[in-house]
Amino acid sequence: MGKIWIPGMMPIELLLILATTFFVFVGVGWLLKTQNRSIPKFGQAILIWLTAFVILKFVLYPPIPSALMKTYMGLITLVLFLLVSADEESWTDFKRPILKTLAGETPGYRGVRTITLVALPLLAGMGTYNNIVPKFEEPIELRTVHPAPPAAVKVHDLKGGDKTFTLQTAQNPFRVDEDGQYSRDVQQKHVNDNPFDPNASKYMQYVREGGAIFFQNCHFCHGDNLDGRGMFAFAFNPIPANFSDPGTIAQLQETFVFWRVSKGGPGLPREGFPWASAMPPWEQHLTTDEMWKAILFEYWHTGFYPRTWD
Amino acid sequence: MKLMKAVGNGKRGWSLVILGVMAALLLLPVVVALAPATSLAADEAPAQVQKGKDVYFKTEGIVSGPPAPQTTAKDYPSYDLPYPLSESRVIVWTIAQQHLYFGSFVLAVPIFCMIIELVGIMSKDRTVGKRYDDLAHDFVRISLTAYSVTAILGGLLLFTFITLYPVFFTYLTSLFKPFMHIYALLFLAESGTLYIYYYGWDRMNDGGFLKWIHATLGILLNVFGSTLMMLANSWSSFMMSPAGVDEKGQYLGNLVHLLHNALWNPLNVHRIIGNMVFGGGIVVAYAAYKFLSAKTEQEKAYYDWMGYIAMFLAVASLIPLPFAGYWLMREVYAYRQQMGITLMGGLLAWLFIIQAVLIGALFFTVNYYLFNGMGRMRGSEPYRKYIKYILFLTTAAFLVWLTPHTLVMRAAELKAIGGQQHPVIGNFGVMSAKNGAVNTMLMTTIISFILYQRSNKIIAVPWAAWGNAAMIGMFAVALVNNWWLAIMGYFIPANIRVGLSVPQVVGTLTCLFVGLAINTAMMRGAKLTGPIEWGKISVRSQYGLFALGVSFTWLMALMGYIRSSVRLFWHAMEVFRDNSPWAFTHAIGFAANVMSFNVLIFWIFTLFVFWLGEFSSHKTVPSMVDERQPVGLGRPVVAGGSK
Repeated sequence: MGKIWIPGMMPIELLLILATTFFVFVGVGWLLKTQNRSIPKFGQAILIWLTAFVILKFVLYPPIPSALMKTYMGLITLVLFLLVSADEESWTDFKRPILKTLAGETPGYRGVRTITLVALPLLAGMGTYNNIVPKFEEPIELRTVHPAPPAAVKVHDLKGGDKTFTLQTAQNPFRVDEDGQYSRDVQQKHVNDNPFDPNASKYMQYVREGGAIFFQNCHFCHGDNLDGRGMFAFAFNPIPANFSDPGTIAQLQETFVFWRVSKGGPGLPREGFPWASAMPPWEQHLTTDEMWKAILFEYWHTGFYPRTWD
Repeated sequence: MKLMKAVGNGKRGWSLVILGVMAALLLLPVVVALAPATSLAADEAPAQVQKGKDVYFKTEGIVSGPPAPQTTAKDYPSYDLPYPLSESRVIVWTIAQQHLYFGSFVLAVPIFCMIIELVGIMSKDRTVGKRYDDLAHDFVRISLTAYSVTAILGGLLLFTFITLYPVFFTYLTSLFKPFMHIYALLFLAESGTLYIYYYGWDRMNDGGFLKWIHATLGILLNVFGSTLMMLANSWSSFMMSPAGVDEKGQYLGNLVHLLHNALWNPLNVHRIIGNMVFGGGIVVAYAAYKFLSAKTEQEKAYYDWMGYIAMFLAVASLIPLPFAGYWLMREVYAYRQQMGITLMGGLLAWLFIIQAVLIGALFFTVNYYLFNGMGRMRGSEPYRKYIKYILFLTTAAFLVWLTPHTLVMRAAELKAIGGQQHPVIGNFGVMSAKNGAVNTMLMTTIISFILYQRSNKIIAVPWAAWGNAAMIGMFAVALVNNWWLAIMGYFIPANIRVGLSVPQVVGTLTCLFVGLAINTAMMRGAKLTGPIEWGKISVRSQYGLFALGVSFTWLMALMGYIRSSVRLFWHAMEVFRDNSPWAFTHAIGFAANVMSFNVLIFWIFTLFVFWLGEFSSHKTVPSMVDERQPVGLGRPVVAGGSK
C-alpha cells in the first residue's frame, strides 16, 4: 500500500481517500434506497466502522502507532453513535436488531443472543488479560521532541569562550544583504540562486560555505536531502531530525536551532528526560560562525523560513 | 427597602444617584494608577537613589521595592500529611481552581442575566418578554449563593497563600498592594450592585424608566466584575511575563508597567470570553439536569427552552474563543520562545492534545444537540439528510485537529515509521493544519444552526433561490479559502503564516454574521410547518448538554494548569525562582487526576448551589405555550400536547 502515497501530497491524499469513500457510501446508499433495498442502520454503522478501520490500518502507510489508531477508532465510533442517534427514526432503526436480539423468541434470535452474551464477557476478559499480562515489548514512550530552550546560551564555554546569545533577540550574523545588514527577506530573494555562481551574492556565498560545513559534518546523519535519512541515520532510534518536514526547523526560531546545534543531546534541559538524542555538542567541533552558516544553509536548502515575530 | 420604596414612588433621582456612585467607583483603578508612585507604592523614601532597568519595557526607573527573595526549601511550609497533600502546591492548586471556578461563575452568570434581561425588555411580545425576564431573575438567584461561596473560597485561598507560600506572597503584595486594596473595594461595590440588582428586580420592574435603570445596573455589575477580574489577572500575568521590575525583581515605581505586562491584555480578553462560555455551560447543565428530573410536561418544556437559550449564548461566546486563545498563544511565543515551545511543542504539548479532544467534543455536542433539536419541529425532515455531510466534514476536520505532530508510540512503532513524525498524518500536527481544521468545524456548526433555524419553516420570500445561492456560494468560498490557506501555510515564512489566520477567521466570521443575517431575512414571513414543541427533545440530547457543561469545566482546569505550569521552576518568570521541594512539573497522569478531582469537587459544590436555589422558592415555571402560533395548527407547543 506504500506505493499510492506521493511525497508532498500525502496528507491531502488521505483526506481525499476518506472523502471518496464517504461519497461512495452515500452514492451506494442512495442507489439501494431507490430500489427499496436500504441496508439497516445497524448494518450501515458496522460497515462504515470496518471501512474506516481498513483505511487507517492497511491503506495508510507507514502504519500509525497503536495509541493513535485507538484514538481515531474511538472517534469514528463516537461519530457513528451521533449519526445513528441524531433523530428518533434513525435511532429506532438502529436499536431494532439489538432489541430483537435481546428479546426475540425465535430459535435464531435465541442462538444469536446466547452467542453474544457468552462472547461479550469472554472478549472483556480477554481484553483485561491482555492488558495486565506482562509483556516484553518496550512501553509507549511519551517523548517530547521540541525541548524548551533556555533564555540565553553561552557558547564555547568549555573552551574558555564566553559568548552569550539571548535566544529571543539574537540573529544569524550571515543572514545579510549586500550591505552586510541583517535582512529577513534575503532568503526569499535568493531562493532560486546558484550557490556556486562565481558572482553569487554575499548571502549565497555564506549559504555555499554553510553547505560545505553541512556536508563535512552533518549529512552523515541528517542526510543529503536534509530529511534525516543519512547513512548512519538508522543506527539511531529515533532517527535524526528531518529538516524537510514542515514541523521541525520551519516551526522554530533560528536561535533555537543554533542552541540545539551548539549544545547537542547532552545540552538538553532536564525537565523532560530522557531525550534520546545522539547529536554531539557541535560547539566542541565548530566555530560559532560555522554553526550559523550551516543553519543558514539548512533553511535555504529546505526552502523553509525561520520563525520570526513582528 | 426604604430606598426602593422611594424609587417606586417615582423618585427617579435616587436611582440615578446610586448609578452615578457605583459608576464613580470604577474610576478607582485609574486614580491609583495615575497617583504619584511614591505615595502609594514605596514603603519609605530610599536613602540613596538607585536606578534599575525594566525587564520588559526596558525603561529606567528608581528602585522602589525589595528584590525578589532567594528562597530555600525552608521558606515553603507544608502540612505533615500523606502525599500528595504534603505538597503545598497541590493544596493551593485545588483551592485556587475552586475559587476560579466560582469566580468565573459569578462573573459569567450576570453577563447572561444582562443579555437575557435586555432581550426580555426589547421583546415585542410581552409574554415572551416576561419569560426571559423570569429566566434572568432565576439565574441571579443562583449566582447569589455562588457569590458567597466565591468569597469564602477567596478567603481560603488568601489564607493558604499566607500560610503555605509566605515569602512569595509577601513579595507579590509588596508590588501589588494598591491594586489589592482596589480589588477589595471593587468587590464591595460589586456586592452592593448585585444586591440592589437582585432585590430590586420586582420593584424596579415597571416596564419603563426604572426597568432601564435596573438593566443599567446589570451592565454596571458586569463592568465591576470584569474590572475585578482584570486586576486579578495582572497578578497571574505578572508571574508569567513580569514587567515594572528590574532583573532582580525590584519594583521601579511604575504601577502601569506592573499592570500592563506583556500577557495581561491577551489574558483579559481570553478570560472574559472564556467566562461567558463557562457560564453558559453551567446554565446549560442546570437546564439539562432540571429537564431530566422534571415531573410535568410544562417543566420539561420550560427547561428544554432554558437549555436551548443557554446553549445558544454559550456557543455564541465559544466561537470567538479560539481566536482569543490564538492571540494569547501568539503573544506567549512572542514574549518567550521558550514558553511557547514548552506549551505547544515540548513538555506540555500532550495536554494540548487533550484540549483538542475536548474542544472537538464541544463542537460535536453542539451539532448533535441541534440535530436532536430538529426532532421537536415538524417540517425538519428535508434538512435531516444533510446531517451526514455535516458530521463527515466535522469528523475529517477533527481528525486533523487532534492529530499530534509528535506521536505517542513504542520504540518498535517508531522504527517502523522511520522517525518521530509520520510522513502522512504528521503534517496535520502543525498550526497551519489546525487553523484550517478549527475553522471548518466552526463553519459546519454554523451550517447546523442555519438548518436548525429553517427546520419548521417554509421560506416565503420571493428571492429565496438567490438567497440560497448566495449562502451556498459564501460557504463554498469560505471553506475553499480556508483549506487553500491551510495548505499555503506550509510553504511560506512563519511570520506570514501566522497572519494567514486573519483571512481564515474573516471567512468564518463572514459566514457567521452574513450567513445568519441572510437566513434570518429569508425567514421573514415564512410559513410555519409547526411550532417548536418544547420538551419533546430526546433525553440523549440533554445528556449531551450536561456533557457540554462538564467539558467546559474540564477544559478550564486543563488550560489553567497549562498556563500556570509553563513557568516551570519560576514564581515570576526569570525574576523570582521557585526553590520549593516541589518545583518540578508533575507527570501528566498526576496532573490530569488533580484536574479531574477539581472538576468533580466543583460539580458537587455546584449541585449544592442549585439545590439551595430551589430551596429558597418554589415558583411555577412559566408556560411555554406560544400565543402567536398560527391558527389551525391545533397543537399546543408543550410536550405531550401533541398526543
